[in-house]
Amino acid sequence: MAEDTPVPKLNFEYWLNKAIEWGQATTLESQKDVCLHLPQLQEFLHEIYETLKHKDSVVAIQQFPLIGQLLGRLCWNPFVVGYDESQKTLMWCLCCLYSSEPQNPVELKANSWIRSLLCHLLSSSKWESNEAETSTFISTLGYTSADYYCHLVKNMVFSLVTELRGNQFNGLYIQGRVSASRVNAMSLFCLPLITLPDVTPLLETLLLYHGGASKEILSSQFLEAVNEAFLKKKISLPETAVFSLWLRHLPSLEKATLYLLDQLVSIQLNSLEEVACVIKDSLLPQAASHPAIFRIVNEIFKNALLETDGTPEVMTIIQVFTQLFLQAHQNENKQHKFPLKAYFPYHHQPLVTALLKRPFELPATHWSAHLKHISDILKALVEDTNVSSLADLFEIWFLVVRFGEWPDIAAEQLLKAAGEPDALLWLLAFYYCPQNENQQRTQTMVEAKAVYNHLMMLFNCTVLSVKALEAAVHSITDTEQCCNQHLLTHLLTNFLLFSSGGHTIAQEFIYHITETTDSSKEVCSLLTRTAYRINHNGEENERTVKLLNELLEKLTLKV
Amino acid sequence: MEALLELVEQLPALLAGARSALVRDWDSLTLDRALEWARYFQHLHDRFRTRPRLREVLGRRLRRAQLSPSLGFPHLGRCPQLLGLALLENRALPPTACRCLLRSLLQPSGAEAGPEPHSLALLARRKAASRLLALPSSPPLSPADMEPQLQAEAQLLLGRLREEGQEAESAGEAAGRPRWFSAVLEQLPTPRVFEVVAAALLGQGNGAERAGGGGLAGNSLDGNRASATGEECVAGPLLSWLVGNQERFSAFCLFLPGSLLASLAGHYSQLSRPYLDLLAGCGSHLLYDPLQGRWVKSCPDKAVLSWEELRERFTCLYQGSAVLRGQTQAALKLLKAHDGDFQVCGLSVWTDLLTEVEECLRKDYLPLT
Repeated sequence: MAEDTPVPKLNFEYWLNKAIEWGQATTLESQKDVCLHLPQLQEFLHEIYETLKHKDSVVAIQQFPLIGQLLGRLCWNPFVVGYDESQKTLMWCLCCLYSSEPQNPVELKANSWIRSLLCHLLSSSKWESNEAETSTFISTLGYTSADYYCHLVKNMVFSLVTELRGNQFNGLYIQGRVSASRVNAMSLFCLPLITLPDVTPLLETLLLYHGGASKEILSSQFLEAVNEAFLKKKISLPETAVFSLWLRHLPSLEKATLYLLDQLVSIQLNSLEEVACVIKDSLLPQAASHPAIFRIVNEIFKNALLETDGTPEVMTIIQVFTQLFLQAHQNENKQHKFPLKAYFPYHHQPLVTALLKRPFELPATHWSAHLKHISDILKALVEDTNVSSLADLFEIWFLVVRFGEWPDIAAEQLLKAAGEPDALLWLLAFYYCPQNENQQRTQTMVEAKAVYNHLMMLFNCTVLSVKALEAAVHSITDTEQCCNQHLLTHLLTNFLLFSSGGHTIAQEFIYHITETTDSSKEVCSLLTRTAYRINHNGEENERTVKLLNELLEKLTLKV
Repeated sequence: MEALLELVEQLPALLAGARSALVRDWDSLTLDRALEWARYFQHLHDRFRTRPRLREVLGRRLRRAQLSPSLGFPHLGRCPQLLGLALLENRALPPTACRCLLRSLLQPSGAEAGPEPHSLALLARRKAASRLLALPSSPPLSPADMEPQLQAEAQLLLGRLREEGQEAESAGEAAGRPRWFSAVLEQLPTPRVFEVVAAALLGQGNGAERAGGGGLAGNSLDGNRASATGEECVAGPLLSWLVGNQERFSAFCLFLPGSLLASLAGHYSQLSRPYLDLLAGCGSHLLYDPLQGRWVKSCPDKAVLSWEELRERFTCLYQGSAVLRGQTQAALKLLKAHDGDFQVCGLSVWTDLLTEVEECLRKDYLPLT
């Protein structure tokens, strides 16, 4: 396949012109331009190699007569050679062009030229006039250029790091004596070297460097490239450096958040533990302890929710994220931690306080009361005061979504705990159907109450038949409003999990519901959340846990 | 075992051959075999480096096989790179063999190629990195801040000395000056070699303090051991080389800046005495010129310091450790006493020096009180 795919002639000319334009990249213009094109150039070189590797060197030169020029020029451009894997590909290409049986002086010359080029790339040899003495010294010691450059790079990094960190002189740190243009130059020159492990200390120091200027002095190309490398796990940086990067460069933060969402949505969410793991690894919950970062991440989540019309996966992700954020915030040892309320400045503070209480902070017997409390505050906010705009309503609803544990627990408590169901039902109705201009929420509430009553009658029956639940099912499939559907599915699923007779018909019933209403993803999501909650919070009887796991297994196979 | 030792003896010949015109007759088979040998040597090194007695036996056998022994046990570990790069540079290697060499060194192939291609790509990358990171440097902030290239050379020298020391230790021999020592230092031109030796001594002295400045070259197992024996076998040869030859030592002291020398003298007592003696010698060549009101050189000889330089040197020494300051002060006072113990200026260079240096330092301290 590689043999037949011709490398477009146009591309070749383009890159050759670029290489000529860049020269050895001695001007700022050319340096910036090279940095901009490094990834595409690497790909192009790889394509060339794939084309060359099956060919004879003579044929190769016939097909690409100017390839020598291109490779030669690129080899003298330290930005290109220093980048990622470009040097490998360059050397492989050179190997391909070397002829093992040169037939004429031209080929001999070509061979010789290739050797010189490789020597230039690899050794501190006698070929480089300014390094002649060093090279004899090193080889007499019995070392190679590999050892020498290993030390040299580390020393240079150390020296630059020291310069940036300032110097301790009589106990004072004299920082800021490095000019802004020098720091900017440093960041640009580091760009090809980001994935070289020796350079990581310098990256860290640059990211944490604050020169006192109001504008950003690090090159934005550099910041972008570091972010890319971090997201793809090609480098590992300490948390403080990553946070600093995101604080200084908004596009990087946005990219990181969207990348996380992409990752989570595309992989199969088998368990919330996995989701939590991925989110934690991304360092975003920890970074969100900076209110600025928290705000921006939430904006992005909000948009994601709107764009996907509130799919359960995204809602779950947001929930888990918020939980991890709270955990990270709690674990922080910093003296000047922001109080949690500071992260939700535009919201009704009593509601925030009520929602911030995690379930495990209260004994299970108090959950119903707390939920009633939340429901009452919400109701007052939403119904009695003039909630002026749809946007405000959305904000309130989004707040509740983030603490989605509570609505989930409300749905459980409805079935398990005795007491007035109205407040909890209202909460759930609001969760699934926040708007009420056309009385949708009221309608939902009414229907939900009817189903609830019906279910409660059947709750303690040890023997249940499918028929007995059919009436409830009909009301789900019949209803036109989808928010009703979600709420009723939730209630029904919980019923099957927690009631005495439910487990016998659970498998069959769930299958039936998900088939007729196309809600397998939703049920799956619900079950996953319940499993996660049980693992972390509650005690639950074995039968329920077993049923839960069985259902999940079946459903995840289907989805 | 004997067979193994005989094989190991071949290493110097292999490397020497790879650098010579002998490769003219090599074909791809010979080349493959040579590379295999190199890998085999590396394998031996990896197997035996934690077994000191075997190491010692191999090392001794290796040294026996050389006229001027410069290769030791650690070189077995570096063999693939030593051989590969030597062959690459050797223009006498015929094209077929060369093609074979390039393929095995650089191109991705089966598992045996292993770390080799990766490390050469890393080398190319690091070399490019050294070009990129060579921003014009700001003025050095302390004598310990030396130019990175100089430091790298010093680190390699130190590494080699440490390897020697470890081999000598495992053989139970006392660490002496390695036989290759002078030959190696002769490779560098005179001013440079002083800088490298100074950097090496400083690096060794600061051993534990430097955070990540440079690791150990080569495959030494025990890292940065600033132990007594370590110090002795590394600093020892360097110091004796410096102090052993009077002309060399004098050139060394005159070439390097006073601050650096003060730093070295502070770390190594073997240097402070000769250095002070040298300065004493320089001072005795100064004459007082009453018309100009200052001390001038009695003969316009480059190998003598001027009054200002001498004062600067002594000031630096005073700014060193308490021990060094004490030593310097005692020396100056003694010289002053022997010279007549004058209090008035213009009669004894030592009186004047002592006065000015102490006055200078007092002024420095005033703003801080």
